[in-house]
Amino acid sequence: MSTPYEELLAAVTRQRGVAGCLIVSEADGIIVDANVQLGIDAGLVGALVASLYRKARLGTEAAGLATVGFLQLEAVGGHLLAAGRDGLVLVTLAEPRAHIGLIRTAMLQSVGALA
Amino acid sequence: MRAHVAEPWVEEPLQRFVEETRVLFALLLQPSGQVLGQFGFTRAVDVMSACALGAAIHASAGQLGRELDGHPFREMYHAGRDRQIYIAEAGTARGPLLLLTAFDAESSLGLVQVYFRQLRDALRDAAPPQEEPALALAADFEHDLQRSLAVLFGGARPVVPGDPPPVHPSA
Repeated sequence: MSTPYEELLAAVTRQRGVAGCLIVSEADGIIVDANVQLGIDAGLVGALVASLYRKARLGTEAAGLATVGFLQLEAVGGHLLAAGRDGLVLVTLAEPRAHIGLIRTAMLQSVGALA
Repeated sequence: MRAHVAEPWVEEPLQRFVEETRVLFALLLQPSGQVLGQFGFTRAVDVMSACALGAAIHASAGQLGRELDGHPFREMYHAGRDRQIYIAEAGTARGPLLLLTAFDAESSLGLVQVYFRQLRDALRDAAPPQEEPALALAADFEHDLQRSLAVLFGGARPVVPGDPPPVHPSA
């Protein structure tokens, strides 16, 4: 069954090293749509990253830096990337070998089509 | 801030839940309305009210689910303007328990749902076996309710397996 965000997710997940991509509601942390590899707890990742993104956005706005454009976390096992618009957050999980520049470009293009 | 419990086996799972989710209030209760643990409440009367209302909401939602879908609804969520309420059922060897929790923008429904699943699994693993079938006596309920509230707010000792059954004045 196709979803309204299928193409948007596919544009990101087709990048090399992407382990999953989710669209999450920023306010309640509920997954709107997702395409992730088996073994990834999409519900947990989505809820936590949405909360993190929201707090980062509030933090930058409180500091007078305007909204968050792109959020990137580097962990030992890979990267976690997030970008949002109009209450939705696009979250990407990437392996350490992934080309972050390409993924970032694909995400920012996809975010433009969100909402 | 610590969760207060009437039975020790619910303390660690409930404490972890409130720490992870940053909810404002949490109640763990039996479907009858008897409280097993609470977080965030400062007055016994508020716990009593919330337990009674939570048990009634759960019973109503369960029956509504049976009427509509053939199965009881086991989760319920209501979003207010500033605060949100989530009620869900967790099965244990001691019978089903209800979680009633209220949260604001510091948390989210997604987080609460995710960590409720962990709470449910932890309660299932931690629950001691049912000792004997409980008789639904009004006098027992009243005694247990007062005992639970005394433990939660009055510093009485939590109930542990092997404690003698309640003695009623009329017995």
